[in-house]
Parts: sequence; structure tokens; C-alpha cells
Amino acid sequence: MIVKSNMRKAGLYIHIPFCVRKCNYCDFYSLGCGSASSISEYIDALCTQIEREAEQYKGVIIDTIFLGGGTPSLLSPDEFLRLCGCIRANFELSSKLELTIEANPDTITRERLIAWRKGGVSRLSIGLQSADDEELRMLGRIHSYEGFERAYRLARELGFDNISIDLMYALPNQTTQGLEKSLERVCSLSPEHISAYCLKIEPSTPFSKMDLSLPDEDTQYEMYMMLCDYLSSHGYEQYEISNFSKNGRRCMHNLKYWLREEYIGLGPSAHSFFDGIRYSYAPSLDGYLSSINAGKMPECILEDTHEPDENEREDEYVMLRLRLSDGVDALEFEREFGKDLFSRYDFDKFIKSGHMKRTGSKIAFTQKGFFVSNYILSSILEYI
Amino acid sequence: MNEKQSKIRNFSIIAHIDHGKSTLADRILEYCNAVSKREMEEQLLDNMDLERERGITIKARAVRIEYTHKDGQSYVLNLIDTPGHVDFNYEVSRSLNACEGALLVVDSTQGIEAQTLANAYLAVDADLEIVPVINKIDLPSADVDRVRTEIEDVIGIIAEDCPAVSAKVGLNIDQVLDAIVDQIPAPKGDPDAPLKCLIFDSYYNAYLGVVVYVRVMDGTLRTGDKIKLMSTGAIYDVVEVGYLDAFGLKKGESLSAGEVGYITASIKTVSETRVGDTVTSTTNPAPEPLNGFKEALPMVFSGIYPADGARYNDLRDALDKLKLNDAALSFEPETSIALGFGFRCGFLGLLHMEIIQERLEREFNLDIITTAPSVIYKIQKTDGEIVYVDNPSNYPSPDTISVAYEPMVKASIITPTEYVGGIMDLCQDRRGIFKDMKYLDSARVELHYSLPLNEIVYDFFDALKSRSKGYASLDYELSGYEASNLVKLDFLLNGEIVDALTFIVHTEKAYGRARKIAEKLKDNISRQLFEIPIQAAIGSKIIARETVKALRKDVLAKCYGGDITRKKKLLEKQKEGKKKMRRLGSVEVTPEAFMAVLKLDDSEK
Repeated sequence: MIVKSNMRKAGLYIHIPFCVRKCNYCDFYSLGCGSASSISEYIDALCTQIEREAEQYKGVIIDTIFLGGGTPSLLSPDEFLRLCGCIRANFELSSKLELTIEANPDTITRERLIAWRKGGVSRLSIGLQSADDEELRMLGRIHSYEGFERAYRLARELGFDNISIDLMYALPNQTTQGLEKSLERVCSLSPEHISAYCLKIEPSTPFSKMDLSLPDEDTQYEMYMMLCDYLSSHGYEQYEISNFSKNGRRCMHNLKYWLREEYIGLGPSAHSFFDGIRYSYAPSLDGYLSSINAGKMPECILEDTHEPDENEREDEYVMLRLRLSDGVDALEFEREFGKDLFSRYDFDKFIKSGHMKRTGSKIAFTQKGFFVSNYILSSILEYI
Repeated sequence: MNEKQSKIRNFSIIAHIDHGKSTLADRILEYCNAVSKREMEEQLLDNMDLERERGITIKARAVRIEYTHKDGQSYVLNLIDTPGHVDFNYEVSRSLNACEGALLVVDSTQGIEAQTLANAYLAVDADLEIVPVINKIDLPSADVDRVRTEIEDVIGIIAEDCPAVSAKVGLNIDQVLDAIVDQIPAPKGDPDAPLKCLIFDSYYNAYLGVVVYVRVMDGTLRTGDKIKLMSTGAIYDVVEVGYLDAFGLKKGESLSAGEVGYITASIKTVSETRVGDTVTSTTNPAPEPLNGFKEALPMVFSGIYPADGARYNDLRDALDKLKLNDAALSFEPETSIALGFGFRCGFLGLLHMEIIQERLEREFNLDIITTAPSVIYKIQKTDGEIVYVDNPSNYPSPDTISVAYEPMVKASIITPTEYVGGIMDLCQDRRGIFKDMKYLDSARVELHYSLPLNEIVYDFFDALKSRSKGYASLDYELSGYEASNLVKLDFLLNGEIVDALTFIVHTEKAYGRARKIAEKLKDNISRQLFEIPIQAAIGSKIIARETVKALRKDVLAKCYGGDITRKKKLLEKQKEGKKKMRRLGSVEVTPEAFMAVLKLDDSEK
């Protein structure tokens, strides 16, 4: 199908709330030890929802799909293809569709890789987190570095040419040198994309109850600076606080979040932004299944609907765009809101202190600014 | 003396804090059916919640009780309650002057403490008949004989047959009442002489105006009389006279020599009716006022600021209201660059200051920031002029000072012998000059020191308590000014002086204190986007330096799956924290951090 450029486009996020086991740091909605039957039942429910709701997205072209979780790579080839088939049958898809699946190294098998190719997966996002087996054990990951590398090479062999690797830093007992070693190993594989997140101890995760020796603030800063420098010197462009890509292979789906573009989220705990409204489903698989199976729309498990007013929209816009290295362009801001960015927000102090930089009509965080961006945003933004 | 007068007994109860004064007062009222058990709130005489909580009595009250003695005769007993703390010594002495006798309550498990002695001396000065009462004999650790001996040896009054009671369980209360009637003399005074009434307390009532408590020394006071307050010359018409029983004011026709009661006369503020002043009548005025009147002068000062600058007017209203009932509280507006608009408040002492601060927070729901307590320095300038400085920021520059004087106190500390060493170290560290040491018995010692008041106003009480496991007690009185070597110590954040942190300190202590406060500032100021130098300076000379490093990392939130709520929540949380911040120049400081800096605890070193 030929897609006209002026057509309404949206991303599609599908949440797969199953894992082999929950990691020690993770507080996303997911159930450990997903049994084969419940996964299958869940895929049926997702398909039912898609079939029922497709009508309301008529005229919307889906140009990115992101299967996240949980561990979407847990789906069997059959389940995965069933879901893909259902999506293709009910949504209008862009010819340049970016379809990302998140994969845990341990679940990557030849059969699955073949199925993903067949289903149209164009982007593989592998959750490595660390290239150090001791650190992986500490995080509660089920794979080893060696296992990861085997999976990675297999994926390459089978033709995946857009692979992203997730890393975490500021891990318990981690040193800057240790992190550098992980980066070295990862970069030697030349993935197209790297995401590197700073470990945050979330309440009610196992980590929050453990006595961890975490790197201090200054070490974390040192790690972040080293990481940015290292990746940049290895050909990776930092296009977002925590995301780096080679040759322009940015994650188109995630960009929608940061650019305030529309996306539809399906499954428990999935978030959507559509028609100016932000909403999310409750993190409850049972609630989701029973409402779908009872023939209801999942509205009954809507957790949160919010239509941001103009002030909030502007603040959201600035908050989200400033995550990007490109920052906010005053010309675009004015086109969108009819206001002058620089009279609406006072960035001067932070430009002076070297935390932000202004280039023509654009304002963005510097690397040093990225790392204290919450502090700065909280004093700039009034309405969120 | 007429028949009526001979049946009156005016008495106070004096004691060290926690020795059971208020409980004994309750039992006496209960015993005389002045109040039934059911109606009685614990410790009835203490009107304010705060008093009850702290176990101290702040404002004196007077209650009339009828008691039938075992001789079959009926007596009128006026119990005049006194404040129980060193800060209110003057008020205590006025209350005592309204009496002929005092019950000296001593805890049989503790023995004599610093305030027992101080109060006993006040009673002796007022020529009172002292009736010792040994309390808490129900406790297993009670040692009645030891305490009897101690009272006789240390205070020099006979305690051989004095009542030994348990106010808590109501044991031997009748013995106390009999002793009051038998040992305390009836009041003297001539009902027909020119009117002389001693004001020993007053409080503001929204309906009646100021209610003035008086003891009629001479003459007779009637409703409708024109009266004059002799210290100010102010004249009022008496609207009402009467007395208090346990339930409230009881209107009467007159009060005559020897009686205790109240007057209302459409008086608007308590500062017009000063404790110790003499009330006389305009038709037949007394030629001389009663002896001993002095104005209660504040000794300790501190800046009080609203944590939220918008509540300045609320703070002023609250202080106005407190002032209605507290003549000793003084305040005037002041401005701090760091803290904005607030008030410089004067207090009788540290406890008085704490009480006012707590009442502002509790009764008026105000979040306040207080600066370090200060005293009044007397400065003789090179041009001969003498100035008094109660705000460290106004301390003159050193080259204009000829001699600086600081207020000194005579301090008496009573402690179990095992803590003497630590307490002497503390006093020495606080520039104390040892006067003498007296053994009260084999286990307890009374120490006398001359100490600068500015060393006591910091955290002397806390340090004393922590060095004596809470056993040492302190009493002090102002003893005058002494020349001293003082300097003004400033603190700079990011190069700007924070006026609210400035204080006056003895030269020898300046370095140590500067270093300590700089460290505290460093520990309590959270990292900001830029590095913050902290400096302590005497004039332009920097004597201590610390640095708060720049914030380099804060919590980052992902927007995984398009969930931006986490990010928003983080921002909200951060903003809430910021809202509470005070800007000191370019630096943001939480009120908590500010207060933490003011709490020095030298005993931790």
C-alpha cells in the first residue's frame, strides 16, 4: 500500500506481561514463570481486542510497532505469528514499518528468529544489561554474556540488520573501568543501536530491600560522561539522554514518545496517547482477560485518562523534547502553540551555567545538563 | 486583726520541676471538695496544654479553698500558684510576696535540686514561713529520712515533723492542710488604711478585658472604686472584684486587707498591669508603693521569621495575641536579607523562648524559622557613646569599639558527684569561672560558677543533661556586665553574607565554632547546580571554609512504553521539595537545614 505523507500516523505498543523470572531491579508490570497456556490465552485476548477496536483506528497508518514487556520473546513462534497476522489483518501498516521486538538473550532460538523474520520484525532489541556475568547474576538476569553473544551472532546470521542492545550502569559494585569493559565488548559487535540506562532503585523491588553498595553521585557522573565519550568515539550518535545510534538508526517508535506523537498501547499497564488524551490500562492481567472475555471493551480497566490542557501540553512538549539531543526548536514550538518559546520559558540561567546550549532557534541540554535534567526541568516547568 | 482576717492563710507551693507541685495542688483542691475528682482535669491549675505537657507552670493562678480544720473552725486558704522555672524568677518572687507562707515540696527520691534551693531562698527573702513537704513517698526508692536531713542541713529549716505525702495517691494530704493552718501566719494589714494591692499576675479575657490578680495588703477595694496603678499612674474604674475558685471567677462586693482576688477594670493589655505594681485608690491614695517592683526585662533575643514569607501578618497577629497575656515578651519588626520580614523577639530566658516558639507553631499553626539566640551586649564606643546590641547583625565594627561588655550570670548547678568532672569540663569550655563547690551530702554537690550568658543560651541545658544523664539541675541569675573580648562571626554562602547566621562569640571560641558551623552547613545544604563555597569570616578575614559540591546527577526517569507519568511524578516531587526552600542569595536552603545549623552540640565532640 502506498502511504500518503499527510496521513495520520501512530505507533502501536503491545505489552507482553510475562517473564521467565522477574529481575531484581524491575518494577514494570510482568508476571514471572508465564505458563504456556496463559500466554496463549493472553494472545487470544489481544487479538480479540484488536479485532473489536480496529474500526476506531480506521484511517490511521501504523508505522511503528513495539512489542515490549515483560519478555515478548517468550512467545512461541506460533503465538507470535498469530499476533502478527491479527495486527496485519486489522490495522493499516506503513510500508516502512519499524517492528521492534524486545528479546531476552536466553529466549533467542533459531526457530523464534525465523518466525520473527517471517512476521516482519525489522528491529531486534536485546536486553543484555551488562557484559559481566557477575553483574548479570546480581541483577537477577537468567543469561550469561556468552549466551548473549551466541544469540547475537545467530540473529545476524539470520539477517537481522538493525539490532539494539540494552545496557545498564551504576550497578552495585560496578566501577567506571568495569563499565568500560562492558562497552568494549558490546561495541566490538557493532550493534546499530545502544540504550544505556542508569540503574534506579525502585520501591518494592528486591533491590530496594537489599543492602547494595552503589556507586556514589560523582562516580555515576563519571560513568555517564565516559559512556557518552566512549560511544561517540565508536561512531554512536547520542540522540537522547540514554540512547545512541549508528548511521541514523534511531528507534522510530520511542521517538514518538519524545516527539509527542500518537501511539496506541494494548495490554495491561500499556499507555496510550491518542486524540489528545493520555490513558493507560490497569496493570492486571486478570482484569484485562476477564473484561475482554466478557465481551467488554478494556475501558473498564482504564486506570488513568487525562487530557492535558494547553499549559500542560506545552510543558510536556518541552519536557519530552529536551530528552533529545536536538532539543526544542522555537520555530516548531511556535508553529504548534503559537507562542514564543523563549518568553514562555526562562533558560538563560542554565545556558550561563553550561547545562543548556542554544543554537539559533534551538535549545537543548548539554551532556552535563542531561544528567541533572530533572532538577532543571522542575524549576522551568510550572504546570506538571 | 479582725476575725475574718485571722482565718485566712495565703500560701504558695514551690518546688523543683517534676517534684510534684501541681499534683499536690490538685490533691489539696480535691480534698477540700473545691473540685470533684470527676470534674478535675489532671493538674487543674495549669491552664495551658503546653504547661501540662512540659510539666511546668508558666502563669501564676490563685484559687480560694475552704478548709475545716480539726479544731472545728473553717479557714479560707488562698493557693497562689507560681511558675516553676528560673526564667520566671521575678514572677515567682512577686507571687511569694502575696503570701505569708510556702509549701516547699521535695521529691523523696531525688532530694534537693537547684530550683528547690533557688525557690527556698526566694521564700526566705520574702519572709515566708516555709513548710517542707516530702513527696512521692509511695515510690520504692523514696528515702524520707535522708531528705529530712538534707532539708535541715542545706536549707536550715526544721523538717523533723514535716508532712511526708504521696500527692499521686493522695496520702497524708490532711497533714499538709493542718500544717498550713497551724504554721503559716494569718495575713496582717489594716482594712481601713489607704489601699495597697500587689499585682502578682494578670491575663487577658476576651469579654472582661484584663483580669488582674491582686493581694490586698492594706485597705479595702470595692466595685466602682477609682484605682491608680502606681508605676504608670494610669487610672481605671473597677468594674468587678471577686475571687477564683476551682471553677472560675466568683463575683463579689469587695476585697479587704489580707484577701486575694481579682479586679477587672476595662484594661486592654496585660502590659498595662505589670506584675509587682501597686494598685491604690484615687480617693485615699497610699503615699508609697509596695517595695520590689521591677519591670521584667528580656534577657535572650532571637529573630523569628515565618517559613512562608506570605504569613508575615499571621505571625504578627499571633505575637500580638501572645503579648496580650505575656508582658515579658517583647518584639519588634526586623528584616533579614536571608529570611525576609520577621521580628526580633525578647524573652526572659531560654525556656520562655521555647514556649513562645512552640505556641506559635501549635496554637497558631505557623511554621517559623528562628535564628540563634543572642543576648544584649553593651558596647562602649570610641566616641564615648554606649550602645546596647540585641541583634548580632547590628554589632558595630571593631574599630569603633572601645570596650565590649557581655552579660554574666551566677549559675548554681546541683549534680550527683560522679558527674562533677564532666560538668566542670563543660563549664570551663563555656568560659565559666569556678566560684565554689559544696557537698549537699555524700552523693551530691552544688557547684557555683560565673558564666557568660551567651554561652548558656546556646545548648548549655542540653549539654548539661547529656553529661549528667539528666540528673544535674541548673539555676542562674543575671549578675551584671563584664568586659570581654568579643568578635562578630559572619557566614558567607557563595560569597554573600547570610545575616541570619551571624553571631557574636568570644575570640577564643571563634575558630572552633566557625569550623563546626561551616561543617554543619556543608552537611545540610543539598547540592545545587553550581559549587557553593561556605566561608566563616571575622571582618574580611576568612577563618573557616567548606564547599558544597555541584549537583552532577539526579534521578532520571525513563518513558518506557510511552509512560510519562513516572517522569511527571518525579518532577512533582522535586518541585514540592523546592517550594519549601529558602533562598539565601543564590543558594537554596531548607528551613530544616537552617535550624540544624543553629543546633550546636558541643558535647558530641
